Formats: sequence, structure tokens, C-alpha cells
Amino acid sequence: MQFSNALRMRRLATGILIALVFLVPIVYVIMISFESPAQFGAHPLQPPVPPSLGNFGSAWQQGDLGPEIVNTAIYAVAAAGISTGLSLLIAFPVARRLVRWSSSLYLWFVVGLALPVSYIPLFIEARDLGLYNNRIGYILLHVEPGLPLGVLLLTAFVSSIPQELDEAAWLDGVSYPRYILSFVAPLAWPSIVITFLYSLLFVWNDIIGPVVFLASPSLFPVARGVYSFYSSNESAYTLLAAAVMIVSAPVALLFVVSQKQLLRATMGLR
Amino acid sequence: MSEAGAPSVTSGAPLGLEGRNPPRLGKPSSKRRRRREAWPAQYRPTAAHKAPYARLLSRSSRAWMWGGVAVGLAFYVLFGIVPTAANLVVSFTNYSGFPGSPTSFVGFSNYHLLFTSQAPGLISSIEATVIFVVGVTLVQNAIGVALAHRLQRDTKTASVLRVLAFFPIVLGVTVVGIVWLLLFDPVSGPAEAVFGAFGIHSAFFGAGNVAMPLVIIVQVWQNLGFTMVVYIGALKTIPQSVYEAAALDGVSAWQRLRSITWPMMAPAVSVNVLLAVVGSLTTYNLIYILTDGAFGTNTLGMFAFNTAFGASADLGLGAAVTMALFVVAVGVAIPLAALLRSRERRLLV
Repeated sequence: MQFSNALRMRRLATGILIALVFLVPIVYVIMISFESPAQFGAHPLQPPVPPSLGNFGSAWQQGDLGPEIVNTAIYAVAAAGISTGLSLLIAFPVARRLVRWSSSLYLWFVVGLALPVSYIPLFIEARDLGLYNNRIGYILLHVEPGLPLGVLLLTAFVSSIPQELDEAAWLDGVSYPRYILSFVAPLAWPSIVITFLYSLLFVWNDIIGPVVFLASPSLFPVARGVYSFYSSNESAYTLLAAAVMIVSAPVALLFVVSQKQLLRATMGLR
Repeated sequence: MSEAGAPSVTSGAPLGLEGRNPPRLGKPSSKRRRRREAWPAQYRPTAAHKAPYARLLSRSSRAWMWGGVAVGLAFYVLFGIVPTAANLVVSFTNYSGFPGSPTSFVGFSNYHLLFTSQAPGLISSIEATVIFVVGVTLVQNAIGVALAHRLQRDTKTASVLRVLAFFPIVLGVTVVGIVWLLLFDPVSGPAEAVFGAFGIHSAFFGAGNVAMPLVIIVQVWQNLGFTMVVYIGALKTIPQSVYEAAALDGVSAWQRLRSITWPMMAPAVSVNVLLAVVGSLTTYNLIYILTDGAFGTNTLGMFAFNTAFGASADLGLGAAVTMALFVVAVGVAIPLAALLRSRERRLLV
């Protein structure tokens, strides 16, 4: 592709701007996580040479960050996986009007998009159904928030798959689960990834849920752990920055490794 | 024979079915065709299923289909509908949450309180919500489209920048909140250093006039990646040949944007706008961390949370606020969804 000079300059400028907007906050936190509290007090904006590693040691000891990262990963992936699977299983028959009340079902899920999380009744339900303070319960309680968007997105997507494909496959005796798994799912992959991401984010960002549904700190996910760490170390900025780094590093690593598949699948890139 | 429905279609049956059940009948592309009146008598939806071609499925396959829907619905009813209904009931009581304390129905008094003694808080909360929702939706989508347009190409730089833009989502709301609190710390933060150099000093997240814009910026910063990804996905589905044909016809860049790109992006705009509106309407996680609803950032979501769980916890009143929020959210979401749908249809056909 040939670009004129002016266009190339403009692309360069916008590229640098984008990079700065997203990099500066992160770089700042990385920097101060290596500053000793004394240096931070005197010259917070000077690069830490030599870097001090003390913050990481104390943050690791004070917060229970390691197990919390594992907890979050289990909760988020399991809940988002179940949620996405169920969304597809609802969306397909609804889009094809294979079940009764398909259009009212669809409308109910639009309403569901606006449902606020009612923590008090949910807490009572969790307690009575034996979902309180255990991993399986926490996962099951986080399946619902992803369903409305999932059903909406996937219904729209299934509608764009020609119905002739269903008919051809079913005439050949392909069973329903197999059809969904090996015909519909690959075609709807971008929407599936978006649905999965969206419900993953709900679990990942839920800081109230852990307080309401979990009592044992050993079951806490990271969002809550970091928040309580923040509440008890509100003025120890360098320590906080180190804790944030410890928590984010594995996720960041995982993301950088998987971003190609993840973002490409979503965006329909090659 | 055919109208009897013969529901016992087993896996071996498709061949026998062919004659009496031409698969083209329930074609979903045209809405009118789908209406039951339009179907010949023998193919009318029966109680068992609406689309006649469902008979192509074996009985066990149909069981699978129904089972999937049933399990999904069970989750939705149990953890979505039931809690909301229960919340409605709680909003008519003086439930305190303390075990053993008596709970009685108090009629509409929580709602009455909400519109009388709580009214000042409610009104300022509605103002904050409108600013937050409109601000987030506009900024997030405007920048999201621009970002998607800039980063849609398959180059190395673009892919690195895409990863960067998506990164805040990966960090999660707590980490993002803490990062921005550190950045805008009124004493040690770099923002203070930068603005201070121009003689501007502010408490940032602790200042009534800047807290809300800052909260909007952080909310957009965190979620921009998701918006961008949805928009890029839409841009990528536009066939290159359409642009090539337009280029041959000498179509200007502006016309290309107006009559090809923009209409074809309509579904993505719907998803993003709906999510931004409903999401920012009900969210409070980030606000809880950044300001805890102080300094003019007490949106309805935050207000509901603080009434129920805050300093002067009142679960009944909190439930009433949540219900009010739900009514507002549904009242916004359904017309908005309909509007966006009709916009899609107008632009795409």
C-alpha cells in the first residue's frame, strides 16, 4: 500500500497518541511499584534507580494474592463457559422458532439486560440452595448475568445462518447436539467469543458478589482481595502498586499469549 | 395422514418424511411467511413445535433441544427473575436483614420516602445518572469507532495497539480504579505535577466539578477495548469488493463512509450503544472504588447500593431504589432496542 507523506505522519501521530493513552497509566504504576516508600515520598516521579523490590515481598506476604488469582480464573472461566453454552442452546431454538413463545422469550431476555443484581434475595436463595460459601455455588450464581446479552447476540447471529443448512444436516441424520457443536458454533464463533468475554468480565469485575456469597477468605477472588488490600493500605501507594502488579502479571501474560486467537476470533481477522 | 403430525419421527425416518414435509416451508427470512395463517393447513404449527422442519430431528434430538432451553431458562428464572420479584416484595417491607428482627409489610412507604425525604438525593442522583450515561455512551462509541477505524488493518503496529487498547479490560475494575486513583492523587500523582505546572490545582476525584468527568474518562478507558473489538468485527464483515466497486465508480471518501461503512456497521452500533447505556445505567463497581458516590457521582446504581449497604443501611429502601432503577432501565432499554432495530432495518435494506 502506498501512502502519502501527510497520511503517514497522521497515522504515526494517532498511533503514538493511542499508545500513550493506554501506556502512561500502566507504566506509572510499574514505575512506582519499584520505588521505595522513602523515594516515593520525596520524588515520586523520578525513575527508581536502583529499583527496590521490597514492595513486592511485603505485598505478597500481606495479601493472599496467589490463591486468589487461581480462584478468579476458575470462577470466571467456568461461569462464562456455562453461560455462553446455555446462551447458544437458548438462542438457536429461539431464532428458529423451534420452541413455543419464541418471540416472548426473546423479549424476556431483552428485559434481562436491564435486570439489576438483587443481592439480598440472591443471598437468601444462595443460602437455602446450598450455594453459599462454596466454589460451585459461586460459579452457578454468576451464570445468569451473561445470559441476556448472549441470547441477544447469538439469536441475531443464528438468524444469519441459512435454515437450509439445518435441513440438510438433519436430513442426513445429524443429531441436535452434534449440529450445534460442529455446525452452528464454528459459524457463530465471533459472537460466541464476545458473549464469553462479556460474562467473563462480569465475574472478573464483581467486587460485591464475593462479600455477599463468600465468607471464607480462601475462596475470595482477586477483585475482592485487591480491594480489601486497598482498604487496609490506602496510603501505602508503592505497596498498592506492587500488589496491583502481582495480580495483573499472570493475567496480562495469559492475555498477551492468547490475544491473537482471542481478538482475531472476535474481530473476524484472518 | 400428514396432519396427524406423527410425532414419532425416529432417526431412520427422514427419507419417509421428504414427501410430505418439503423443508422450504418455514423459511425464516420473511417474517410474514412465518405467521401461522400463512402456512398450509397440514404444516400449521402443532403444540409440539412451531417450525414443521423440526420434525427432521429425532426424538432424542428434540429432547436435547428442549433440555438446553429448559436448563438455560431455569438459570434465568432462578437467578434473574425470582430475585427481582423478591426484591419487589422486599421493597414493600421494613426488612432490616438482622436475623430475628420483625419484618412487616409497610405498603408504599419506602417509595413514599424515596420521593419525599430522599427526594433531594434522588434528584441529584438522577442528574448524575443522566450525565454519566450520556457521557459514557457518546464518548465510548465515538472514540470506539475512531479507534476501530484506525486499528482495523492487519499490520504489526495496529495489532500491538489493539492489544494495548484491550488491556484495561484484562486488568479488571479494581486494578483500573486503583491505577487512576494513584495517577490523580492530589499530592503525589503525576496529574498533579502536570496540571500544577500550569498553576492548576485540584483534588481531582475529590472535587465536585471534575470528579464526574474523570469517572466518565476512567469508565470509557476501561471499556473502550470491548467497544473497539465489536466495531472492528463489524468493519471486517464488509466485503472488500463493495469498496472496490465504489472506488471504480469514483465515490468520495465521505460518501463511502456514509453509504457503505456506516450502514453496514449498524448492528455493531446497536450492540455497543445498548450495552453502554444499560451498562452505565446499572453499574457502580468503578464509581464505588473511585469516589464511593461522593462529589456528584452518586448515580442511581451507586445510590441503590449505598442505600441498601451503606452507612445507614436500609434494605427495604434500597430494594425500592433498585426497583426504580429497574423500571428506568427497562423503560430505556426496550424502546432503545426497538429504535436501534428499526434503524438497522432502515439502513441495511
